[in-house]
Amino acid sequence: MNPDFAVQVEGLTIQFGSFTAVDDISFSVKKGEIFGFLGANGAGKTTTIRTLCGLLTPTKGHVTVAGHEYKEGDLSIKKRVGYMSQKFTLYNDLSVKENLVFAANLRKISKSTHEKRIKELFAFLGFTHSDTTLVRDLPVGLKQELALAAATLHNPEIIFLDEPTAGVSPAARERFWALIRQLSAAGKTVFVTTHYLDESEQCDRIALMRTGKIIALDSPAELKKKTFPESLYELEPMSGQSQSAILSQLEKIKQSGAALEIQPYGMRYHVIVKDSRQWDLVKEQIKPTFSYKPTLPSMEDVFIRLVEGVDR
Amino acid sequence: MIQKIINRIFKNDTLRGFIRKEFIQALRDVRMRMLLFVMPLIQLTVFGLALSNEVKNIRLGFVHAPNDIVAKHLADRCFASNWFIRPRETNGDAFQWIQSGDADAVLVVPPGGLTKSIEEGKGRLQLLVDATNAMRARSVENYVQRILIAYQKDTVTTTANPDRFSLDVRVLYNPSMETAVFLVPGVMVMILCLLTIILTSMALAREKEIGTFETLISAPVRTWEILVGKTLPYFILGMIDVPLIIAAGMVFFGVPLRGAVWEIALSSAIFIATTVSVGTLISTMAKNQQQAMMGGFIFLFPAIQLSGIMFPLDNMPAVLKIFTYLNPLKYFVTVLRNVMLKGGDPMVVWSNVGAMAVLAAAALWLSFKRFHQTLD
Repeated sequence: MNPDFAVQVEGLTIQFGSFTAVDDISFSVKKGEIFGFLGANGAGKTTTIRTLCGLLTPTKGHVTVAGHEYKEGDLSIKKRVGYMSQKFTLYNDLSVKENLVFAANLRKISKSTHEKRIKELFAFLGFTHSDTTLVRDLPVGLKQELALAAATLHNPEIIFLDEPTAGVSPAARERFWALIRQLSAAGKTVFVTTHYLDESEQCDRIALMRTGKIIALDSPAELKKKTFPESLYELEPMSGQSQSAILSQLEKIKQSGAALEIQPYGMRYHVIVKDSRQWDLVKEQIKPTFSYKPTLPSMEDVFIRLVEGVDR
Repeated sequence: MIQKIINRIFKNDTLRGFIRKEFIQALRDVRMRMLLFVMPLIQLTVFGLALSNEVKNIRLGFVHAPNDIVAKHLADRCFASNWFIRPRETNGDAFQWIQSGDADAVLVVPPGGLTKSIEEGKGRLQLLVDATNAMRARSVENYVQRILIAYQKDTVTTTANPDRFSLDVRVLYNPSMETAVFLVPGVMVMILCLLTIILTSMALAREKEIGTFETLISAPVRTWEILVGKTLPYFILGMIDVPLIIAAGMVFFGVPLRGAVWEIALSSAIFIATTVSVGTLISTMAKNQQQAMMGGFIFLFPAIQLSGIMFPLDNMPAVLKIFTYLNPLKYFVTVLRNVMLKGGDPMVVWSNVGAMAVLAAAALWLSFKRFHQTLD
């Protein structure tokens, strides 16, 4: 057990009957880190997070969270972590205050402590509504912020957030991530799952999950570098170009053998360069049709490449 | 010991939090308030009125010879009482009169006439009663009985034979007869049971359905804290309904309360502990509120049928009788009837309360065993 790690997972396998949801994964999360769990629905993110919070029993493997190894019936992990599930965590028919007080009671936080703590959290969130507002009357983004407050009432060392920004407006998502960064700056470890690829750029490290396995784990910058050792160019069609002209030019690039791959990227195209000498030749020829510039891969590029790499 | 348990429960923040939350959730919603406090009264009233309103305009037939003076006097008295009316005449015998549905009851005098048989000191009458409706049948018997006694008192000075009549009642179609007063405690049991089982099982199932259950078990709480926390509020709400329902039974239907209040309180507490545990057991098997509701009714229907509230248990096949011993409703309705109507025989009260306590413990143990703090 390394004291620098908030979470250590070794050979974790979780099966439901004959279905293997998580297949022999190992990783560790450093203290104070924002650790992202990325993957499509059904990749095993939620199952892993539930196990780390002690809501599921591992079929195989070792799980150590906040310095405590998982044991059935042992509450030490639950005392030290906060968990916000992807479902409702607040009661719609209770007021903001009633919800938070119940969350505090559940964890046996004394009245004087939780009253102080709720004030702190309201200040942290910048919550200005009346605390007697029923939760059902709040917008989704605000509900999620309050759910985060409820999950951090007991000042946990590690906070597990399972798709906290699903269904939330872009502005509210940005606000939520600002809160996550603040928590991390205050020394908390934040373990967050998402399927928004742009959000994952804000994590210190990302684990990419696919069908129960971790297929990549690193910082966003390293992942990009490792996945794309080749240079990457972005082609933008000039205005007024016909679809057939664009397609014939793309075909020309393919014929030249300069590109490893050409991926559509919105209205643009990303060219992964295989042979830079050939590319230098061909890029001059396509000039009337496209403008081009070197670019860095997005997490989307990384994700697509990694997933395809596994499939191949 | 009990003091210790109470202290442990009410000094526990988690449980206090649960009680407060469940009360707020149950009482904030207007529909829930209606369900808790108004519906039981409405149900009781509707049941009670349906039972008591019918016992008038009873069609009572007489089978006697035209020259039978005593029988004639008796008939006149009956029809003067406002309870009875004359049925359509029939050509068949007394039995067919009832069979055809033209008469609710038929009074048959002995062969040779009532006048003659009284002179002989025998005065035996036969009353045939259609007891497809048990309440009505019981009333018919009571009314005829009362008229006979009154008639006897009025005429006793003129004759030497004081006990001139004896009524031989043959109850048709339903040998065990129940009156409204007898039925109201049964209705109370049904209402209490329905309310507590459905509410408890739905409350936990709702947490599972909306997903808050995951948050509950992610907190460092013990299984017993969740179970007690989710059931105690409904136990308390059920206990609040007990005096409400009993008071309604007494005020609206004149059901007596002859026994001690503490006997009612104790047996109600044990009964509600049982139903609330059964509700919890159901919710451990349900994933959502619909399933919980279904489970509740799957328990309730046979439990009511096998409780003796509606149908006498004595006539049941032996196989079904075994199940009646596992039925908390049977024990509670026995206690409630005994305490309210007869004043409470300690033997009856304690044996039934004991049996209920065993069932409560079993249901509690089972739901504790089945309740998992994990999500699989």
